[in-house]
Amino acid sequence: MNNEVVSREQRALIVEDEVLIAEELRDRLSRLGFSIIAAVDSCDEAVAIAARERPDLVLMDIRLKGAKDGIEAAKEIRMQVDVPIVYLTAYSDRATLDRAKATDYDAYILKPFHRRELQSTIEVAIKRHAIRVHGME
Amino acid sequence: MKRQLYVIGVVSGFAVITLLLWPRLTDRLLTTDFLPHAYCYLQNSGLVWTNVAADSLIAIAYLAISVTLIYLGYKGRYDIPFPWMFVIFGFFIVACAATHFMEVVTVWIPVYFVSAAVKLFTAAVSVAAATVLPFTVPQVFALVQQAKTTQQMTEQLRASEDRKDALLQEVHHRVKNNLTVICSLFYLQSTHTKDEEAIRIFRDMERRVHSMALVHESLYRSEGLERIDFADYARTLSQDILSSHGGLSAQVRMRIELETVMMGVDLAVLCGLILNELMVNSFKHGFNDRAKGEIKLTLHRDAHNQCTLSVEDDGVGIPPNLTVETSKTMGLRLVRSLTRQIRGSFELSKRDRGTSACLRFKVDQHEQ
Repeated sequence: MNNEVVSREQRALIVEDEVLIAEELRDRLSRLGFSIIAAVDSCDEAVAIAARERPDLVLMDIRLKGAKDGIEAAKEIRMQVDVPIVYLTAYSDRATLDRAKATDYDAYILKPFHRRELQSTIEVAIKRHAIRVHGME
Repeated sequence: MKRQLYVIGVVSGFAVITLLLWPRLTDRLLTTDFLPHAYCYLQNSGLVWTNVAADSLIAIAYLAISVTLIYLGYKGRYDIPFPWMFVIFGFFIVACAATHFMEVVTVWIPVYFVSAAVKLFTAAVSVAAATVLPFTVPQVFALVQQAKTTQQMTEQLRASEDRKDALLQEVHHRVKNNLTVICSLFYLQSTHTKDEEAIRIFRDMERRVHSMALVHESLYRSEGLERIDFADYARTLSQDILSSHGGLSAQVRMRIELETVMMGVDLAVLCGLILNELMVNSFKHGFNDRAKGEIKLTLHRDAHNQCTLSVEDDGVGIPPNLTVETSKTMGLRLVRSLTRQIRGSFELSKRDRGTSACLRFKVDQHEQ
Protein backbone atom coordinates (compact mmCIF):
# COMPACT_ATOMS: atom_id res chain seq x y z
CA MET A 1 0.00 0.00 0.00
CA ASN A 2 2.83 2.33 0.85
CA ASN A 3 4.37 1.75 -2.55
CA GLU A 4 1.13 2.69 -4.18
CA VAL A 5 1.15 5.97 -2.29
CA VAL A 6 4.59 7.02 -3.49
CA SER A 7 4.62 5.55 -6.98
CA ARG A 8 1.94 7.74 -8.53
CA GLU A 9 2.59 11.46 -8.77
CA GLN A 10 0.84 13.20 -5.90
CA ARG A 11 -1.48 16.08 -6.69
CA ALA A 12 -2.03 18.88 -4.22
CA LEU A 13 -4.58 21.67 -3.88
CA ILE A 14 -3.49 24.86 -2.10
CA VAL A 15 -6.14 27.00 -0.42
CA GLU A 16 -4.54 30.22 0.83
CA ASP A 17 -5.73 33.82 0.60
CA GLU A 18 -2.26 35.36 0.71
CA VAL A 19 -1.03 34.94 -2.86
CA LEU A 20 2.69 35.21 -2.09
CA ILE A 21 2.47 32.61 0.65
CA ALA A 22 0.55 30.43 -1.81
CA GLU A 23 3.39 30.92 -4.31
CA GLU A 24 5.93 29.81 -1.75
CA LEU A 25 3.83 26.75 -0.92
CA ARG A 26 3.51 25.96 -4.62
CA ASP A 27 7.29 26.05 -4.95
CA ARG A 28 7.99 24.06 -1.81
CA LEU A 29 5.40 21.40 -2.65
CA SER A 30 6.77 20.96 -6.17
CA ARG A 31 10.21 20.42 -4.65
CA LEU A 32 8.67 17.73 -2.47
CA GLY A 33 7.43 16.02 -5.66
CA PHE A 34 3.84 17.22 -5.78
CA SER A 35 2.12 18.56 -8.83
CA ILE A 36 -0.11 21.49 -7.97
CA ILE A 37 -3.68 21.33 -9.22
CA ALA A 38 -4.41 24.95 -8.27
CA ALA A 39 -3.90 27.60 -5.63
CA VAL A 40 -7.23 29.20 -4.72
CA ASP A 41 -8.33 31.67 -2.07
CA SER A 42 -12.02 30.99 -1.42
CA CYS A 43 -14.06 28.21 0.12
CA ASP A 44 -16.35 27.69 -2.88
CA GLU A 45 -13.52 27.35 -5.40
CA ALA A 46 -11.71 24.97 -3.07
CA VAL A 47 -14.75 22.73 -2.63
CA ALA A 48 -15.52 22.68 -6.37
CA ILE A 49 -11.94 21.80 -7.37
CA ALA A 50 -11.50 19.23 -4.60
CA ALA A 51 -14.73 17.47 -5.58
CA ARG A 52 -13.75 17.42 -9.27
CA GLU A 53 -10.05 16.61 -9.01
CA ARG A 54 -9.87 14.47 -5.85
CA PRO A 55 -6.41 15.73 -4.84
CA ASP A 56 -3.99 13.62 -2.80
CA LEU A 57 -3.47 16.53 -0.44
CA VAL A 58 -5.25 19.74 0.47
CA LEU A 59 -3.31 22.49 2.23
CA MET A 60 -5.98 24.64 3.85
CA ASP A 61 -5.48 28.09 5.31
CA ILE A 62 -8.08 28.93 7.92
CA ARG A 63 -8.53 32.55 6.93
CA LEU A 64 -9.97 32.79 3.43
CA LYS A 65 -11.60 35.34 1.16
CA GLY A 66 -15.36 35.51 1.57
CA ALA A 67 -17.75 34.61 4.34
CA LYS A 68 -16.76 30.97 4.75
CA ASP A 69 -13.41 30.09 6.31
CA GLY A 70 -11.08 27.14 5.87
CA ILE A 71 -12.78 25.07 8.56
CA GLU A 72 -16.08 25.41 6.70
CA ALA A 73 -14.33 24.51 3.44
CA ALA A 74 -12.73 21.42 4.99
CA LYS A 75 -16.13 20.25 6.22
CA GLU A 76 -17.72 20.71 2.81
CA ILE A 77 -14.85 18.94 1.05
CA ARG A 78 -15.05 16.03 3.46
CA MET A 79 -18.77 15.62 2.71
CA GLN A 80 -17.92 15.02 -0.95
CA VAL A 81 -14.49 13.41 -1.10
CA ASP A 82 -12.23 11.83 1.48
CA VAL A 83 -8.82 13.45 0.98
CA PRO A 84 -6.00 14.30 3.41
CA ILE A 85 -6.43 17.84 4.69
CA VAL A 86 -3.66 19.81 6.38
CA TYR A 87 -4.63 23.06 8.04
CA LEU A 88 -2.28 25.99 7.79
CA THR A 89 -3.02 27.97 10.86
CA ALA A 90 -1.82 30.49 13.36
CA TYR A 91 -2.92 30.55 16.95
CA SER A 92 -5.04 33.45 15.69
CA ASP A 93 -7.29 32.73 18.58
CA ARG A 94 -7.93 29.80 20.82
CA ALA A 95 -11.57 29.47 19.76
CA THR A 96 -10.65 29.08 16.06
CA LEU A 97 -8.01 26.51 16.85
CA ASP A 98 -10.45 24.52 18.98
CA ARG A 99 -13.04 24.71 16.21
CA ALA A 100 -10.45 23.45 13.73
CA LYS A 101 -9.52 20.60 16.04
CA ALA A 102 -13.18 19.58 16.29
CA THR A 103 -13.34 18.94 12.53
CA ASP A 104 -11.99 15.92 10.74
CA TYR A 105 -8.47 16.78 9.59
CA ASP A 106 -5.21 14.93 9.28
CA ALA A 107 -2.63 17.42 10.49
CA TYR A 108 -2.01 21.09 10.94
CA ILE A 109 0.97 23.37 10.46
CA LEU A 110 1.42 26.53 12.42
CA LYS A 111 2.27 29.59 10.37
CA PRO A 112 4.93 30.87 10.01
CA PHE A 113 6.12 27.45 8.93
CA HIS A 114 9.43 25.92 8.01
CA ARG A 115 10.53 23.73 5.16
CA ARG A 116 11.29 20.58 7.14
CA GLU A 117 8.20 21.02 9.22
CA LEU A 118 6.11 21.28 6.06
CA GLN A 119 7.58 18.10 4.66
CA SER A 120 7.23 16.00 7.80
CA THR A 121 3.71 17.24 8.53
CA ILE A 122 2.56 16.44 5.02
CA GLU A 123 4.04 12.95 5.26
CA VAL A 124 2.28 12.36 8.58
CA ALA A 125 -1.02 13.62 7.17
CA ILE A 126 -0.89 11.35 4.12
CA LYS A 127 0.01 8.33 6.24
CA ARG A 128 -2.70 9.06 8.78
CA HIS A 129 -5.25 9.44 6.07
CA ALA A 130 -4.19 6.18 4.44
CA ILE A 131 -4.53 4.36 7.75
CA ARG A 132 -7.92 5.93 8.32
CA VAL A 133 -9.19 4.95 4.87
CA HIS A 134 -7.58 1.54 4.35
CA GLY A 135 -7.21 0.51 7.97
CA MET A 136 -3.96 -0.53 9.64
CA GLU A 137 -1.64 -2.41 7.34
CA MET B 1 -25.99 67.74 54.91
CA LYS B 2 -24.76 70.17 57.57
CA ARG B 3 -28.15 71.91 57.39
CA GLN B 4 -30.07 68.77 58.26
CA LEU B 5 -27.82 68.03 61.24
CA TYR B 6 -28.33 71.63 62.24
CA VAL B 7 -32.13 71.17 62.14
CA ILE B 8 -31.86 68.10 64.37
CA GLY B 9 -29.61 69.95 66.81
CA VAL B 10 -31.99 72.90 66.99
CA VAL B 11 -35.07 70.73 67.51
CA SER B 12 -33.46 68.57 70.21
CA GLY B 13 -31.98 71.72 71.77
CA PHE B 14 -35.48 73.15 71.97
CA ALA B 15 -36.67 70.02 73.76
CA VAL B 16 -33.88 70.28 76.32
CA ILE B 17 -34.39 74.00 76.83
CA THR B 18 -38.13 73.52 77.29
CA LEU B 19 -37.39 70.98 79.99
CA LEU B 20 -34.87 73.25 81.71
CA LEU B 21 -37.04 76.36 81.59
CA TRP B 22 -39.96 74.56 83.00
CA PRO B 23 -39.03 74.72 86.72
CA ARG B 24 -42.12 72.95 87.94
CA LEU B 25 -41.41 70.14 85.59
CA THR B 26 -37.70 70.06 86.39
CA ASP B 27 -38.42 70.16 90.08
CA ARG B 28 -40.67 67.24 89.75
CA LEU B 29 -38.61 65.47 87.12
CA LEU B 30 -37.57 62.69 89.40
CA THR B 31 -40.67 62.65 91.53
CA THR B 32 -42.12 59.23 92.16
CA ASP B 33 -45.46 60.30 93.52
CA PHE B 34 -47.25 58.16 90.97
CA LEU B 35 -48.23 54.54 90.89
CA PRO B 36 -45.75 52.30 89.07
CA HIS B 37 -47.11 50.94 85.81
CA ALA B 38 -47.24 47.45 87.29
CA TYR B 39 -50.33 48.53 89.22
CA CYS B 40 -52.12 49.22 85.94
CA TYR B 41 -51.35 45.64 84.99
CA LEU B 42 -52.85 44.68 88.39
CA GLN B 43 -49.51 42.90 89.12
CA ASN B 44 -50.53 40.26 86.58
CA SER B 45 -47.05 38.71 86.22
CA GLY B 46 -47.73 37.34 82.77
CA LEU B 47 -48.73 40.77 81.49
CA VAL B 48 -45.87 42.54 83.35
CA TRP B 49 -43.16 40.23 82.07
CA THR B 50 -44.52 40.10 78.57
CA ASN B 51 -44.39 43.90 78.43
CA VAL B 52 -40.98 44.08 80.12
CA ALA B 53 -39.51 41.38 77.87
CA ALA B 54 -40.96 42.91 74.69
CA ASP B 55 -39.85 46.45 75.55
CA SER B 56 -36.38 45.26 76.57
CA LEU B 57 -35.94 43.32 73.35
CA ILE B 58 -37.14 46.27 71.28
CA ALA B 59 -34.78 48.62 73.14
CA ILE B 60 -31.79 46.30 72.66
CA ALA B 61 -32.59 45.72 69.00
CA TYR B 62 -33.02 49.46 68.38
CA LEU B 63 -29.72 50.16 70.05
CA ALA B 64 -27.96 47.54 67.93
CA ILE B 65 -29.55 48.93 64.75
CA SER B 66 -28.65 52.50 65.64
CA VAL B 67 -25.05 51.56 66.39
CA THR B 68 -24.82 49.93 62.96
CA LEU B 69 -26.42 52.93 61.24
CA ILE B 70 -24.26 55.51 62.97
CA TYR B 71 -21.14 53.46 62.30
CA LEU B 72 -22.16 53.10 58.64
CA GLY B 73 -22.86 56.81 58.33
CA TYR B 74 -19.51 57.64 59.91
CA LYS B 75 -17.45 55.08 58.00
CA GLY B 76 -19.04 55.77 54.66
CA ARG B 77 -19.09 59.54 55.01
CA TYR B 78 -16.94 59.84 51.88
CA ASP B 79 -18.51 57.04 49.84
CA ILE B 80 -22.15 56.73 50.84
CA PRO B 81 -24.52 59.42 49.58
CA PHE B 82 -26.43 61.17 52.42
CA PRO B 83 -24.34 59.81 55.30
CA TRP B 84 -26.14 62.26 57.58
CA MET B 85 -29.39 60.39 56.87
CA PHE B 86 -27.85 57.34 58.48
CA VAL B 87 -26.77 59.40 61.45
CA ILE B 88 -30.25 60.97 61.83
CA PHE B 89 -31.92 57.58 61.65
CA GLY B 90 -29.35 56.28 64.11
CA PHE B 91 -30.31 58.99 66.62
CA PHE B 92 -33.98 58.51 65.85
CA ILE B 93 -33.72 54.83 66.67
CA VAL B 94 -31.58 55.48 69.76
CA ALA B 95 -34.36 57.75 70.98
CA CYS B 96 -36.97 55.06 70.24
CA ALA B 97 -34.84 52.59 72.20
CA ALA B 98 -34.74 55.00 75.16
CA THR B 99 -38.52 55.35 75.05
CA HIS B 100 -38.96 51.62 75.26
CA PHE B 101 -36.33 51.42 78.00
CA MET B 102 -38.32 53.96 80.02
CA GLU B 103 -41.43 51.82 79.52
CA VAL B 104 -39.55 49.02 81.28
CA VAL B 105 -38.36 51.31 84.09
CA THR B 106 -41.82 52.77 84.81
CA VAL B 107 -43.28 49.33 85.34
CA TRP B 108 -41.65 49.47 88.79
CA ILE B 109 -40.29 53.02 89.23
CA PRO B 110 -42.84 55.67 88.30
CA VAL B 111 -40.48 58.35 86.93
CA TYR B 112 -43.12 59.46 84.44
CA PHE B 113 -41.62 62.92 83.97
CA VAL B 114 -38.32 61.46 82.84
CA SER B 115 -40.26 59.12 80.63
CA ALA B 116 -42.19 62.04 79.18
CA ALA B 117 -38.99 64.01 78.61
CA VAL B 118 -37.43 61.10 76.74
CA LYS B 119 -40.62 60.75 74.71
CA LEU B 120 -40.53 64.46 73.89
CA PHE B 121 -36.94 64.16 72.71
CA THR B 122 -37.91 61.12 70.60
CA ALA B 123 -40.78 63.10 69.15
CA ALA B 124 -38.44 65.94 68.23
CA VAL B 125 -35.97 63.65 66.51
CA SER B 126 -38.79 61.71 64.78
CA VAL B 127 -40.34 64.90 63.47
CA ALA B 128 -36.95 66.06 62.27
CA ALA B 129 -36.33 62.75 60.47
CA ALA B 130 -39.84 62.74 59.02
CA THR B 131 -39.42 66.33 57.81
CA VAL B 132 -36.03 65.80 56.27
CA LEU B 133 -36.80 62.50 54.54
CA PRO B 134 -39.19 63.80 51.83
CA PHE B 135 -36.63 66.37 50.71
CA THR B 136 -34.14 63.63 49.89
CA VAL B 137 -36.56 61.87 47.53
CA PRO B 138 -35.53 63.77 44.35
CA GLN B 139 -31.87 63.35 45.26
CA VAL B 140 -32.33 59.62 45.87
CA PHE B 141 -34.09 59.29 42.52
CA ALA B 142 -31.26 61.18 40.85
CA LEU B 143 -28.85 58.85 42.58
CA VAL B 144 -30.67 55.75 41.35
CA GLN B 145 -30.69 57.22 37.85
CA GLN B 146 -27.00 57.97 38.15
CA ALA B 147 -26.26 54.41 39.29
CA LYS B 148 -28.16 53.12 36.28
CA THR B 149 -26.23 55.40 33.93
CA THR B 150 -22.96 54.36 35.54
CA GLN B 151 -23.84 50.72 34.98
CA GLN B 152 -24.66 51.39 31.33
CA MET B 153 -21.40 53.25 30.92
CA THR B 154 -19.51 50.38 32.52
CA GLU B 155 -21.11 48.00 30.05
CA GLN B 156 -20.24 50.28 27.16
CA LEU B 157 -16.69 50.57 28.41
CA ARG B 158 -16.41 46.84 28.69
CA ALA B 159 -17.75 46.40 25.16
CA SER B 160 -15.30 48.98 23.85
CA GLU B 161 -12.52 47.22 25.76
CA ASP B 162 -13.50 43.97 24.03
CA ARG B 163 -13.53 45.74 20.66
CA LYS B 164 -10.10 47.19 21.41
CA ASP B 165 -8.78 43.71 22.25
CA ALA B 166 -10.25 42.28 19.06
CA LEU B 167 -8.74 45.12 17.06
CA LEU B 168 -5.36 44.66 18.71
CA GLN B 169 -5.49 40.95 17.98
CA GLU B 170 -6.37 41.73 14.37
CA VAL B 171 -3.43 44.14 14.16
CA HIS B 172 -1.04 41.51 15.51
CA HIS B 173 -2.45 39.02 13.04
CA ARG B 174 -1.89 41.48 10.19
CA VAL B 175 1.65 42.26 11.32
CA LYS B 176 2.46 38.57 11.57
CA ASN B 177 0.83 37.90 8.21
CA ASN B 178 2.84 40.67 6.57
CA LEU B 179 6.05 39.36 8.10
CA THR B 180 5.17 35.90 6.82
CA VAL B 181 4.62 37.38 3.37
CA ILE B 182 8.08 39.00 3.59
CA CYS B 183 9.51 35.55 4.45
CA SER B 184 7.76 34.19 1.36
CA LEU B 185 9.23 37.00 -0.73
CA PHE B 186 12.77 36.18 0.45
CA TYR B 187 12.16 32.52 -0.23
CA LEU B 188 10.74 33.11 -3.69
CA GLN B 189 13.56 35.47 -4.60
CA SER B 190 16.10 32.87 -3.43
CA THR B 191 14.65 30.33 -5.87
CA HIS B 192 15.51 32.66 -8.74
CA THR B 193 19.25 32.64 -8.30
CA LYS B 194 21.98 30.04 -8.66
CA ASP B 195 24.42 32.06 -6.59
CA GLU B 196 25.04 30.11 -3.36
CA GLU B 197 26.09 33.24 -1.48
CA ALA B 198 22.90 35.08 -2.50
CA ILE B 199 20.76 32.09 -1.50
CA ARG B 200 22.46 32.05 1.89
CA ILE B 201 21.77 35.75 2.38
CA PHE B 202 18.10 35.33 1.52
CA ARG B 203 17.81 32.39 3.92
CA ASP B 204 19.42 34.44 6.69
CA MET B 205 17.03 37.31 6.08
CA GLU B 206 14.08 34.95 6.00
CA ARG B 207 15.18 33.51 9.34
CA ARG B 208 15.51 36.94 10.92
CA VAL B 209 12.09 38.09 9.79
CA HIS B 210 10.71 34.74 10.87
CA SER B 211 12.09 35.26 14.38
CA MET B 212 10.21 38.59 14.50
CA ALA B 213 6.97 37.07 13.23
CA LEU B 214 7.18 34.42 15.94
CA VAL B 215 6.94 37.09 18.66
CA HIS B 216 3.55 38.12 17.34
CA GLU B 217 2.63 34.48 17.09
CA SER B 218 3.60 33.93 20.75
CA LEU B 219 1.22 36.68 21.78
CA TYR B 220 -1.73 34.44 20.97
CA ARG B 221 -0.52 31.89 23.45
CA SER B 222 0.05 34.42 26.22
CA GLU B 223 -2.59 35.75 28.58
CA GLY B 224 -2.70 39.37 27.50
CA LEU B 225 -1.84 41.07 24.23
CA GLU B 226 1.02 43.12 25.65
CA ARG B 227 3.54 40.67 27.01
CA ILE B 228 4.87 37.28 26.06
CA ASP B 229 6.67 34.56 27.94
CA PHE B 230 10.13 34.63 26.37
CA ALA B 231 10.77 31.03 27.46
CA ASP B 232 7.81 29.88 25.40
CA TYR B 233 9.05 31.94 22.46
CA ALA B 234 12.65 30.72 22.77
CA ARG B 235 11.45 27.11 22.82
CA THR B 236 9.55 27.54 19.56
CA LEU B 237 12.33 29.51 17.90
CA SER B 238 15.01 26.97 18.85
CA GLN B 239 12.87 24.12 17.58
CA ASP B 240 12.40 25.99 14.29
CA ILE B 241 16.11 26.67 13.94
CA LEU B 242 16.90 23.05 14.77
CA SER B 243 14.46 21.76 12.16
CA SER B 244 15.68 24.19 9.50
CA HIS B 245 19.26 23.01 10.08
CA GLY B 246 18.27 19.36 9.83
CA GLY B 247 20.32 19.08 6.65
CA LEU B 248 23.52 19.64 8.63
CA SER B 249 26.04 16.84 8.51
CA ALA B 250 26.48 16.90 12.27
CA GLN B 251 23.83 15.38 14.51
CA VAL B 252 23.05 18.29 16.85
CA ARG B 253 21.11 17.84 20.06
CA MET B 254 19.40 20.71 21.91
CA ARG B 255 19.31 21.05 25.67
CA ILE B 256 16.87 23.66 26.87
CA GLU B 257 16.63 25.11 30.38
CA LEU B 258 14.34 28.11 30.39
CA GLU B 259 12.73 30.06 33.20
CA THR B 260 9.55 32.00 32.59
CA VAL B 261 10.34 35.64 31.79
CA MET B 262 7.47 37.89 30.80
CA MET B 263 8.40 40.83 28.58
CA GLY B 264 6.86 43.39 26.27
CA VAL B 265 6.71 42.86 22.52
CA ASP B 266 9.42 45.45 21.76
CA LEU B 267 12.01 43.84 24.00
CA ALA B 268 11.00 40.35 22.91
CA VAL B 269 11.53 41.19 19.22
CA LEU B 270 15.08 42.46 19.94
CA CYS B 271 15.98 39.54 22.21
CA GLY B 272 14.49 37.17 19.65
CA LEU B 273 16.69 38.60 16.89
CA ILE B 274 19.77 38.22 19.12
CA LEU B 275 18.86 34.67 20.10
CA ASN B 276 18.33 33.82 16.42
CA GLU B 277 21.83 35.07 15.53
CA LEU B 278 23.47 33.21 18.41
CA MET B 279 21.80 29.91 17.65
CA VAL B 280 22.29 30.13 13.90
CA ASN B 281 25.98 30.97 14.54
CA SER B 282 26.38 27.85 16.64
CA PHE B 283 24.72 25.71 14.00
CA LYS B 284 26.66 27.26 11.14
CA HIS B 285 30.15 27.43 12.57
CA GLY B 286 30.16 25.27 15.68
CA PHE B 287 30.19 21.79 14.22
CA ASN B 288 32.01 22.08 10.93
CA ASP B 289 34.26 19.08 11.45
CA ARG B 290 32.04 17.19 13.90
CA ALA B 291 29.74 14.22 13.58
CA LYS B 292 27.59 15.31 16.49
CA GLY B 293 27.25 18.05 19.04
CA GLU B 294 25.09 19.73 21.60
CA ILE B 295 23.70 23.22 21.98
CA LYS B 296 22.54 24.31 25.40
CA LEU B 297 20.07 27.15 25.66
CA THR B 298 19.41 28.65 29.08
CA LEU B 299 17.36 31.59 30.32
CA HIS B 300 17.61 32.65 33.91
CA ARG B 301 16.15 35.58 35.81
CA ASP B 302 17.42 36.67 39.21
CA ALA B 303 15.57 38.50 41.98
CA HIS B 304 16.47 41.92 40.51
CA ASN B 305 14.90 41.14 37.13
CA GLN B 306 18.35 40.74 35.64
CA CYS B 307 18.09 38.13 32.89
CA THR B 308 20.80 35.90 31.51
CA LEU B 309 20.24 34.29 28.14
CA SER B 310 23.01 32.00 27.08
CA VAL B 311 23.76 29.75 24.13
CA GLU B 312 26.57 27.26 24.68
CA ASP B 313 27.85 24.68 22.26
CA ASP B 314 30.50 21.98 22.51
CA GLY B 315 31.69 22.61 18.94
CA VAL B 316 34.95 23.84 17.47
CA GLY B 317 35.00 27.13 19.41
CA ILE B 318 35.58 30.67 18.16
CA PRO B 319 38.77 31.62 16.31
CA PRO B 320 41.37 33.04 18.77
CA ASN B 321 41.42 36.48 17.15
CA LEU B 322 37.64 36.99 17.09
CA THR B 323 36.13 39.58 19.42
CA VAL B 324 32.57 40.85 19.54
CA GLU B 325 33.67 44.48 19.38
CA THR B 326 35.73 44.17 16.20
CA SER B 327 34.02 41.33 14.35
CA LYS B 328 32.90 42.31 10.88
CA THR B 329 30.28 39.57 10.47
CA MET B 330 26.67 40.65 10.03
CA GLY B 331 25.51 38.34 12.82
CA LEU B 332 27.79 39.75 15.51
CA ARG B 333 27.21 43.28 14.27
CA LEU B 334 23.48 42.74 14.82
CA VAL B 335 24.07 41.28 18.27
CA ARG B 336 26.31 44.22 19.16
CA SER B 337 23.79 46.86 18.09
CA LEU B 338 20.75 45.14 19.52
CA THR B 339 22.50 44.60 22.86
CA ARG B 340 23.12 48.32 22.99
CA GLN B 341 19.46 48.99 22.26
CA ILE B 342 18.24 46.82 25.14
CA ARG B 343 20.99 48.33 27.38
CA GLY B 344 22.39 44.91 28.04
CA SER B 345 25.82 43.36 27.95
CA PHE B 346 27.11 40.60 25.74
CA GLU B 347 30.01 38.27 26.12
CA LEU B 348 31.40 35.68 23.76
CA SER B 349 33.94 33.31 25.21
CA LYS B 350 35.78 30.15 24.37
CA ARG B 351 35.12 27.25 26.67
CA ASP B 352 37.12 24.07 27.24
CA ARG B 353 35.10 22.63 24.45
CA GLY B 354 33.15 25.00 22.24
CA THR B 355 31.75 28.48 22.61
CA SER B 356 29.66 30.27 25.17
CA ALA B 357 27.57 33.30 24.22
CA CYS B 358 25.96 35.13 27.06
CA LEU B 359 23.52 38.06 26.97
CA ARG B 360 22.59 39.93 30.14
CA PHE B 361 19.75 42.43 30.26
CA LYS B 362 17.20 43.85 32.62
CA VAL B 363 13.53 43.21 32.02
CA ASP B 364 11.55 45.85 33.90
CA GLN B 365 13.27 48.97 32.55
CA HIS B 366 11.55 48.37 29.21
CA GLU B 367 8.09 47.94 30.66
CA GLN B 368 5.80 50.91 30.76
